[in-house]
Amino acid sequence: MNISYNWLKELIEIELSPEETAAALTRVGLAVEGIHPHKDDLILDIDLTSNRPDCLSHLGVARELGVITGRPLKATSGSAAAGDELDAVPFPSVLAPEVVRVDAPELCPRFTARVIRGVKIGPSPQWLVDRLDALGERSINNVADITNYVMLELGQPMHAFDLDKLAEKRIVVRTARAGEKITTLDEVERELDETMLAICDAERPVAVAGVMGGFESGITDATTNVLLEVAYFKRENIRQTSRKLGLATEASYRFERGVDIENLIRASDRATELILELAGGEAADIVDVYPERQPERTVQSADISSAVKRLTGLDVAADECERVLSSLGIERTGEGEYKSPTWRHDIAIEEDLVEEVARHAGYENIKDELPPAFGAGEYQATEVRKRRLRGALVEQGFDEAIAYSFIDVRHDDTFAAVPEFLREGGEEKFVTLKDSVIEGAVRMRPTLIPGLLGALRLNLNHQRRDVKLFEIGKSFAAAGIGELPTERELFTIAVTGGEVHEDRAMPARPLDLYDAKGAVEAALEAAGTAGYEYRPAEVAHLRAGQAGEVVKDGRVVGTFGRLNEEIAANYKFKQPVYVAELDLQTILAEPSEPAVYTPLSRFPSVIRDISFLVPRSLTFAEVRRTALAAGSANLRAVSFVDIFEGKGLADEVRSLTIRLEFRSDERTLTEAEVEAEYGSILSRLKDEHGLEPRS
Amino acid sequence: MSDANQHIEAARTAFAEAFSPFDSLDLNGSGLAEAEAKLRELGELKVRHTGKKSALAEAKKMIGRVAPEERSAFGQAVQAAEKEITDLLEKAEAELNEFITAARIERERLDVTIPGRRPRTGHLHPITILRQQIEDIFVSMGYAIEDDREIETDYYNFDALNIPEGHPARESQDTFYTTGGFALRSQTSTVQIRAMERRGVPIRIIAPGKVFRRDTPDMTHVPMFHQIEGLCVDKGITMAHLKGTVTEWLKRLFGEDTVTRFRPSYFPFTEPSAEFDFSCFVCHGSGRVSGEQRAVSSEEGENSERLTAHGSQLTDRCRPCKGSGWIELGGSGMVHPNVLRSCGVDPAVYSGFAFGFGLERMAAMMFNIDDIRHMFENDVRFLEQFT
Ligand SMILES: [Zn+2]
Repeated sequence: MNISYNWLKELIEIELSPEETAAALTRVGLAVEGIHPHKDDLILDIDLTSNRPDCLSHLGVARELGVITGRPLKATSGSAAAGDELDAVPFPSVLAPEVVRVDAPELCPRFTARVIRGVKIGPSPQWLVDRLDALGERSINNVADITNYVMLELGQPMHAFDLDKLAEKRIVVRTARAGEKITTLDEVERELDETMLAICDAERPVAVAGVMGGFESGITDATTNVLLEVAYFKRENIRQTSRKLGLATEASYRFERGVDIENLIRASDRATELILELAGGEAADIVDVYPERQPERTVQSADISSAVKRLTGLDVAADECERVLSSLGIERTGEGEYKSPTWRHDIAIEEDLVEEVARHAGYENIKDELPPAFGAGEYQATEVRKRRLRGALVEQGFDEAIAYSFIDVRHDDTFAAVPEFLREGGEEKFVTLKDSVIEGAVRMRPTLIPGLLGALRLNLNHQRRDVKLFEIGKSFAAAGIGELPTERELFTIAVTGGEVHEDRAMPARPLDLYDAKGAVEAALEAAGTAGYEYRPAEVAHLRAGQAGEVVKDGRVVGTFGRLNEEIAANYKFKQPVYVAELDLQTILAEPSEPAVYTPLSRFPSVIRDISFLVPRSLTFAEVRRTALAAGSANLRAVSFVDIFEGKGLADEVRSLTIRLEFRSDERTLTEAEVEAEYGSILSRLKDEHGLEPRS
Repeated sequence: MSDANQHIEAARTAFAEAFSPFDSLDLNGSGLAEAEAKLRELGELKVRHTGKKSALAEAKKMIGRVAPEERSAFGQAVQAAEKEITDLLEKAEAELNEFITAARIERERLDVTIPGRRPRTGHLHPITILRQQIEDIFVSMGYAIEDDREIETDYYNFDALNIPEGHPARESQDTFYTTGGFALRSQTSTVQIRAMERRGVPIRIIAPGKVFRRDTPDMTHVPMFHQIEGLCVDKGITMAHLKGTVTEWLKRLFGEDTVTRFRPSYFPFTEPSAEFDFSCFVCHGSGRVSGEQRAVSSEEGENSERLTAHGSQLTDRCRPCKGSGWIELGGSGMVHPNVLRSCGVDPAVYSGFAFGFGLERMAAMMFNIDDIRHMFENDVRFLEQFT
């Protein structure tokens, strides 16, 4: 809101410099963002919070200043002219259904109209042009300028019609009929609907209530008779209409925040006075349709001074509280009861009164204190483990990504979500936004993979070919109709390129599936969980034969592998990309595994390394399982040594080397004992899988 | 006797002849292999001329057979010859060894300026770094960290926060909705409600989390960002506790000399409400950076904007605070009684404060990030700048 310093001085005596005025207003919550010189004036740019529409006028700002400086407002004209007399009109005021009929009183609780005949439309005097110009308003003609001027002075928007352009010279305030059209002052034809309030003549809409007047019924140079509308509309309805029409005006801005319903007559009088002065003519009686007087709003506060102390810790004497409140127009009406001013829609409870007192007492006077000690703080249950997990990945060269939670619908069904998450076969399995601000991105992500792949693409575009990313974040799945969607925290990685060393320009070696899997293993270990089984699997987004699932206690908690060709082609990835996604929430729901100590053996181990040619379908896990199941009493471990394929071997086989470790905790094993157990393991491997040791 | 002396003379002569290539050994320009070959050659020469079968050894054996009166003189002559030969051999050997050692060192010299071998370390996202720092501070101040749903009902996102239907904050087009009619939470204040329902009061929590607003991405706007919400409800809590708490954690994050400023504001879920600012961590409230500070800050990445283009006494406008000396951080206030009531808390007995702020804005300001969209692009060139 732009406020003219000169104008302000007309409304209240100011002894402060403009800078001091700005600081004083800022201190009480009317944040002055800047002071801009304009000719002989200074314009204060005030950033108002949405609860203070009463300060969208010079009067409102002057009132705040009055509370600060203790000075009264100067008497303004506007209650002069016909005003004095009309203010005395007993409630309800003159009803003149032949001039104004309000068919929708719930949307228009009060409507005033005054006819002024014999005006001469012309340019405004220079002082009026200048004043509007200083506040960024363009001068149009004397009558239109006056309506703007009074709005800026008193905060009440108003509209002047050319009476002779109104069919039957009367006004009907009603909701629009579906499809009814009006060309507004900006010469745009707009279609109204039944929720919108229209100011109509006997036939058609002549203004969109509270938003903008009609073009055809507007004031022109030829106008001689004016109907001045000053009204109060239901705030929510104006907001809705303004949104629907995509039309926000100075008027709608004020109406939707709330104007002062008891200020209409004064505003109308003020405008009338100025019109008579600047455009001539003769004013008729005001028509005031106000069928149901707005009930007075009262606020209870038995002891405002102690309430201020209780909520803010400030010591403000009762007298000073009363002074602040009454200067703001919050009158004490009885024991422990205050009246909320009609221009303040935000004063409803004692806490509101406390804020009024506190902001004028000054927030800077509130002490800094710490609340009394309470107890030990605590992280979220899984935070410590998540920090370790993050740490393990960072150590492995992963950068942490955070991608948007909404993704493009084109990813639907391309990626497999973590198991038991999406409800297959139900109605809708995804969570979808009504609309988005990013083209196409209306799907709440069921998987984090597309986000990471997008990031890989971006990095490749910037010549970063060796990238390891991880993200921890929520994914979303639809639940039943009317139920809140399921949210699940996932942990996802994507890697491509080579193993990079710090400060070395070339990667040491290309990354492969085992780098991705290793990262998963390291992360799970860091998170304090163990006992995972990894097995081959078919996963929608992974290449067949290079995909696995992660299993814990029989439940699949994640997948890993190489991104399939089709998706890779879509992203134009020319190098292999490996991804893994795990259901972190499920994983961390289990308590972490406690460390178990095994006494150190006093006896030496005997090691046997052995190689086999294995078909590609036979996994190390199976070989290991078979070896362990061979019934060897002293076999302690079966571990992986090496796998070799290619040169010198047939396509369908690999050479797998494993290590068998034999040990007894009671004695040193003899060669013969080891040989016997070793032999039985070999024969078991031969029987089960047809494996022969390579020489 | 002369036989014997002749023998010594012969041995000496034979050695001198064999030794001649080593006599004035010049290794200049020799390679390591050449020197090593020479050393081997020298070793053989030594065996030949001083070993058991050498002429010198023969001469030693003769000492016993020489007439007793000549024995002493002969023995001395043998010893002299032996010493002469050994000295020459040792000298040559030492020279060769010295050369070989030096050559070997040279051959195995390493370039210690080559970067050490260490796998590249990754980086946490700046939002995670900041969140963890702030969580640590609040946990040490006795707060529990909380989070909750990101997709919420209107009740938790609005009604319970004293934003009834028809309220401007609710009607604004800021909130994302699912087709099922649920809201993506537009502020972490939703966690206040859920946590109070779950834990009851008294309560002290900090809730970091994602929030969503329908803002089209640009330099300063993103449709998803992170907020941190704080809530403290107990008997006798006042705005002084709010100010004290906010000041304390900002001091712990930015240093003991940090001061805060509270300005009246409006939020539906607090009454009274305040926005809070803190003194700029670069200029410490002055709004200007001197040349010296500027040198430091521009090393950190152009923290300042030059106001005057010439003149030797430059004072530059401080960038994080835009020259105001203050950094606007977040909103706060005393929890609105309607919010307490909707969590079953009696506002006549309990009072509380709440505050909240956005992490992206804070990180952008702390790290001088010009375009907030970088936060969610996951460009490694961006991510690797934070540790
Ligand atoms: Zn600064």
